Amino acid sequence: MFEIPWNVIAMQFFFGIALGCIFVLLSSGMSIIFGLLDVVNFAHGTFAMLGAYAVFVVVSLTGNFFIGLVSAVIIVGIIGMFVEFILLKPLYGKDPLLPLLLTFGLSVAIPDLIKIIFGLIGKPVNYPEALSGIIALGPVIIPGYRLFIILFTLVAIISLWLFLKKSDLGMIIRASTRDSLMVQTLGINVSRIWTIGFAIGVGLAALAGAIAAPMMSATPDMGVDMTMTAFVVTVVGGLGSLGGAIVGGLLIGLVVAFTAFIAGEYSSVSMYFCMALILLLRPRGLFGEQGRE
Amino acid sequence: MQHVRFLHKTGLVMLLIGMISAALLVAAPAPASAQQKTIKYGTMHPLTGAYAVLGQDQMRATQMAVDEWNAKGGVLGHKIVWIYRDDELKGNVAIRRAKELVEEEKCDFIGGTLSGSISLAINEFACKTKTPYVAYCMSDMVLGSDQCEYGAAFMVIPYSAALAVSKYAFENVGKKWFSITADYRWGHSLLEGWMWQSEQMGGQHLGNVYVPLGTTDFSTYFAKILAAKPDFIVMNNLGADQTAAIKQASELGLTKNMKIFCTKTAQHTIKELGSAYNENVIGGMSFYWKLRDKYPGAKKFVDKFMEKYGAPPEQDGECGYVATNLLFMAIEKAGTVSDKKKIMDTMADLKYTLTKGQEYVRGCDQQRIQSYVLVKGKGAKAKGWDLADIVAEIPGDSIVMSCEDNAKKLPFVNIKLPK
Repeated sequence: MFEIPWNVIAMQFFFGIALGCIFVLLSSGMSIIFGLLDVVNFAHGTFAMLGAYAVFVVVSLTGNFFIGLVSAVIIVGIIGMFVEFILLKPLYGKDPLLPLLLTFGLSVAIPDLIKIIFGLIGKPVNYPEALSGIIALGPVIIPGYRLFIILFTLVAIISLWLFLKKSDLGMIIRASTRDSLMVQTLGINVSRIWTIGFAIGVGLAALAGAIAAPMMSATPDMGVDMTMTAFVVTVVGGLGSLGGAIVGGLLIGLVVAFTAFIAGEYSSVSMYFCMALILLLRPRGLFGEQGRE
Repeated sequence: MQHVRFLHKTGLVMLLIGMISAALLVAAPAPASAQQKTIKYGTMHPLTGAYAVLGQDQMRATQMAVDEWNAKGGVLGHKIVWIYRDDELKGNVAIRRAKELVEEEKCDFIGGTLSGSISLAINEFACKTKTPYVAYCMSDMVLGSDQCEYGAAFMVIPYSAALAVSKYAFENVGKKWFSITADYRWGHSLLEGWMWQSEQMGGQHLGNVYVPLGTTDFSTYFAKILAAKPDFIVMNNLGADQTAAIKQASELGLTKNMKIFCTKTAQHTIKELGSAYNENVIGGMSFYWKLRDKYPGAKKFVDKFMEKYGAPPEQDGECGYVATNLLFMAIEKAGTVSDKKKIMDTMADLKYTLTKGQEYVRGCDQQRIQSYVLVKGKGAKAKGWDLADIVAEIPGDSIVMSCEDNAKKLPFVNIKLPK
């Protein structure tokens, strides 16, 4: 048996953070949707998958990965707006099971549609040339693309935070999350805010799918695992909490990375153990509000 | 007047009854002797889920084989009725489908499946019901107590694939290796093959990581592998798992300066990976479409498949094509459609040339003895379906143990897998 030097541990930590960043993007979107609409979006991973396909299509057409990333958010955000406006809106105020069943149905139907359009074989999304190399920080080797994921997520989350905290629309969204009736009595069209909130939520999912696509290819069924991961992270962080999604995402990323390092066969199940443990100690999740456990 | 009206009404009713009777007579089935006799063949494939692309290939090739036989009048004058089911790559679903095919659809023969574990369960069911079963997947069903006279394996069995690829790796690349193994029976069987060969050829196994099925992030495993400094990495996984693993190895620059051996790979995996599956990635396959340049049978099969479906067949499709053909060839040679024992005995002696060189089904353990092909990726130079080049074709006889050994699972039963 060989010894594991410190640089390998450092690399493992880095990989865990990079993986966690994808989880952060994924679960922030789910958290916004749940916080605003009280809808458990079973199709969240499916929207991430759409993001992966959107980046594939745009990169194929333009050859530019960065345009692909932005386009994925816009395209899937618009699809999300239609889904919310046409399918989800009529279900508000009715049995809470109905939106859940609807999103579950979408998670089955949309991948089948993708299979019809793009076929069963996954689509490769190549790393942009500028990010394809590795960076050696002494004995620590860091793939350029993972570093990009971390920096990009940092920028995306700070932008989201500034938008929610400082912009008028962001403040209305936050207020609607707290008390939509009150916002409505102030003369604001809350229905429109819900549509925008849902679009932002699935747009973030699309960003997670698009950024993950070069690491695993875009496949019709990739959304299933992404939905499960988003649930775990959202529950760990606390339902409806953006801060919880960030901390939960990074925590789960590190748990998976270090379990893979110590006992690889348990890496997938480790996130569920972590969730069970946190729920036992704090049923509302790390940053969840009381009454939402 | 009323009398006339009554007669008129009665006449109309009689006319109506007469017309209905005549229509029924016309529509009635012809006497049994004039009807074409049929035999039913039922297959199971994973048409949904992660391996749907391979399941679809199995299904298409089976259809092609059945159509060819029916075009020449069926088998022993019996038209072949083919029924297929989606087993969803789930053991419980597959068993339910097998029961449906045999008990409800009254299939005389069954075939298919893509998972080795599922094939073991179907094989057991086939044995109990005495229904001939031709497996399309890498399966250990020909080893030890899983052997059964009603089951035959048509894909290269797991340890044979490992022996073929490992021999090439130890002879051509180096001795120090690290493995990534899918954490289920098929992956373990491949690892056993590698470890045995490593012992025989002076290899040094530096370590292994078991990876759960469906893992998407492999980078977390590579740090451990980099620390071990192997000559090459072995991938005992498949499908989306293999795609993600190679993509991320490429991201770390590993595919630029280290060889990666995939004990089993697939054409669609190479296509999905694009430039990441370069000349340093070598994968094993029981069939690659470029064999058409070597064997006339392969050319005929590949060209016809491509014409029909627009893409070359995967090894899984080729396996389904051969298994289906062999089943009907055995029926024809046995001269019976009902004596299933005789059909299986006949299959066990068959020598044939279909899609590669001459092959045979080994009688003692009812497995197809066939070559295993090693392909090297073309990376960024790949165009269309020209994804890889064949670097070696390992003869079938050199990668199977004797029947006596297989019956006792030797020598692999003595291999102690790492924890």
